[in-house]
Amino acid sequence: MKLYRWIPAAFLSVAIVGAGCSQEEEAGSGEEAQVEDGESGELVVYSARNETFVDEYLEKYEEDTGIEVHALHADDTAVNRIQEEANNVQADIFISNDVGAMEHLRLDGLLDGYEADNLESIDEDYRAEDDSWVALSARTRVLMYNEDLVNEENVPDSIEELASPEYADQFAITRGANGSMIGHVSALRQEWGDEQTVEWLRDVSDNAGIITDGHGEIRQAVGTGEVEFGLVNNYYYHQQLQEPENNNVSVVYPDQGEDEMGAVLNAAGVGLVADGPNRENAETFMDWALEEENQQMFSNESLEVPINPDVEAVEDAAAIDEYETHDMPLHELGEVWDDTLEVIEASGMDLEVR
Amino acid sequence: MSRRNEREKGVRKLWYRLWRGRPPGPVLLFLGLLIAFIMGVPLLYVVVRSFSAGADGWMNILDERIPGLLWNTLSLTLMVTVFAVILGVSLAWIVNRTDIPFKKGWQWLLALPLVIPPYIGAAVYIMIFGPVGWASEWWQDGWLERAFGEYPIEIYSFAGVFFVLTLFTFPYVFLISMASLRKMNRNYEEVARSQGMSTARIFWKVNLPFLRPAIGAGVILVSLYVLSDFGAIAILRYTTFAAAIYYQMGSFDNLSATVLSTVLIAITLVVLWLEAKTRKKNVQYHQTSNAYTEPETLRLGKWKIPALLYVFTVFFFSVLVPIIVLVYWTVIGIGEGAIDREFWEYTWNSLRVAGYAAIACMLMAIPIVYLKSRYPSPLTTVIEKLSYAGYALPGVIVALGIIFIFNEHIPWLYNTHYLIAFAFVILFLPQAMQAGEASLSLVSPRMDEAARSLGHPPWKVMVKVILPAIRPGILAGGALVFVSAIKELPATLILRPPGFDTLAVRIWYETNEFFYQYAAPAALVIILISLIPLRFLLKKY
Repeated sequence: MKLYRWIPAAFLSVAIVGAGCSQEEEAGSGEEAQVEDGESGELVVYSARNETFVDEYLEKYEEDTGIEVHALHADDTAVNRIQEEANNVQADIFISNDVGAMEHLRLDGLLDGYEADNLESIDEDYRAEDDSWVALSARTRVLMYNEDLVNEENVPDSIEELASPEYADQFAITRGANGSMIGHVSALRQEWGDEQTVEWLRDVSDNAGIITDGHGEIRQAVGTGEVEFGLVNNYYYHQQLQEPENNNVSVVYPDQGEDEMGAVLNAAGVGLVADGPNRENAETFMDWALEEENQQMFSNESLEVPINPDVEAVEDAAAIDEYETHDMPLHELGEVWDDTLEVIEASGMDLEVR
Repeated sequence: MSRRNEREKGVRKLWYRLWRGRPPGPVLLFLGLLIAFIMGVPLLYVVVRSFSAGADGWMNILDERIPGLLWNTLSLTLMVTVFAVILGVSLAWIVNRTDIPFKKGWQWLLALPLVIPPYIGAAVYIMIFGPVGWASEWWQDGWLERAFGEYPIEIYSFAGVFFVLTLFTFPYVFLISMASLRKMNRNYEEVARSQGMSTARIFWKVNLPFLRPAIGAGVILVSLYVLSDFGAIAILRYTTFAAAIYYQMGSFDNLSATVLSTVLIAITLVVLWLEAKTRKKNVQYHQTSNAYTEPETLRLGKWKIPALLYVFTVFFFSVLVPIIVLVYWTVIGIGEGAIDREFWEYTWNSLRVAGYAAIACMLMAIPIVYLKSRYPSPLTTVIEKLSYAGYALPGVIVALGIIFIFNEHIPWLYNTHYLIAFAFVILFLPQAMQAGEASLSLVSPRMDEAARSLGHPPWKVMVKVILPAIRPGILAGGALVFVSAIKELPATLILRPPGFDTLAVRIWYETNEFFYQYAAPAALVIILISLIPLRFLLKKY
């Protein structure tokens, strides 16, 4: 009985102290907002990337500039939050895994052009028309397999073959609404047309042994032998190699034959959100992100390949010119983003995990 | 002139009849209506928005998504509920009625899983039985793989979800059944025994009908829990309505999310209606309080070992295993520096939002509870029912409603951590109300009247007489809200502003990335905090 008397009192006092502190904090941020025009202040970043890929990167920005970063690690919901918040913009910077997503936001008028320092270090193909987004590192869609379970010849060498009954239940893919998946499907639509793509999606979602939320789970599942192979972005393969165990994995770059489409490429990068609350800091961020040292950090944290050829890649990452890639200009993915989502949904492919 | 007077008189008469001659003061009524509005609006908003999806949108989703989801959701809800009831009732009966050793100890040990949120339970069982878990490692290292082939356990499956949810929801039934059994009079059983009934027959014919209301309440709690659970289900890669709504928001198809929400709300209402209906059909069993004697303790005899084994097995899987696993990973985590400045920041954030919610709920419960007990009327019923909205709603839906309302109409509050606390208030106010109601029911209305007759105005009666009398109940209700809020995952996940993480969010993220050593310390903190109200719960039931 005594216990039950003091405990509510205890948490009440905690809560009251909490309320007090947060008021101070709120007041503090208000003052900061006033001096925002000056050097310091804050920056709100929405990131669709894996949190572990951007944590240190954003910390470095904080150290370099003294600007406090508030990051929302929102997976693929980041794109949609920016859309949904158009009338009440919250974010200053968008970090994306997917050029299509960035271009899509730009076409909706949600990103704003800005000519950052050192912009020319990135090839025009990998920037927005108005430079509102810049891609910094490339990723390729590959099939990673477990060498204990299958030989290379038993892994499909084209994406189309994933739909074949031969591979039923042997592989893992992500859910349809995963950003990388949307990009990939967009490329397939361009190559095959909608009808064939829908049919492929339908078969593949029946065929897949596991459908996951993200690629981290696929990496695990292939590494441990839960499935024989999985469709991932190439750096997940490099990551799995670095694991202390369950690392007997290898990789197939699909569709490498003479007349075939080549492996589908995508890129990660940063975009400047229009009408964000801390515009000046957002511009500082874009300038900072294009410094070569920071370009390198951006791609190294995730083992991706830097788009800027002058920036050195990590040891394990295969260079882009070593294999055939799909020739569709990446920014064209933006126009078809919404359509692609509809196509995926129409195919009945799970948007969820399984 | 006189006609207007008459009309006024008529309205007045109606108003008095509505309140059975005693209308509440305007301030109290206003507060009640305001709270009901705050509680009900997000729900209504979701439903109204769902209709803007139009017939096409609805048909599309109904065709493509609903059948599978419906099957997933209903089969899981049914199975978990049935087995949770079986576990809960049988365990309650054994530790209450038999001479099982360590009887008193089991009575609270078996309530302990209540403090372990199912998503933490799910994470623990993935650590053990998952494809990279201990069991599979041990299986592959040993002779088992050679003898029996591949590792057979598939935790990411219906069976896995069913196992975890049953294990961590049965205590609801257990606690309520215990309370009923304790109150049951021995006379009935003696009469039955004198008629030559066997123990088994007595259980079915005498005990079970008595337990009917307890089981009904348990069914409601467990099935509503399964319908609304997001964390455990998502971590185990299963998809029910609540999870689908979250993913639909993830691909930011908010319209489809609202349609799915509306269907889920409908299912919830059906569950509540079914329970109410079966309750009416049953005859009310009364007990006469004047001749109460304590029920006889049954001798287990040769059943002692099996009974003990059964009780211990459940305790083992639902309490011992999770705690041991979490402590193990926490030790590793501490070695890797998991408890750093950020960890304390997450803890502080959790305490903060839960604290705001607890205080708000305590303050809001008082007028509602007072209205309900002192001024019954149809209007009061509406206010009360709306205040209970959150009781039946998944956090995902509440968050959806809040996003709509604040982003469009109150943008300056959007993306602040106060919205998380606001969601908690909607979700957990009913808990504070129930605790307050229990206290207030012990205060006779005559006390108010006596105070009024001494010339005190109503507000003074409230402050001087009622509040001191119900303070313990209100505080206990606040403690309950606090603990539920600390554990809450989906609404927190959806509503957190940039840079604001809580313990629950960290557990979710680290588990998804397989960083168990970082998830475990946070899980242990949540469990320790959750122990706070257990004493209160054990007392109440």
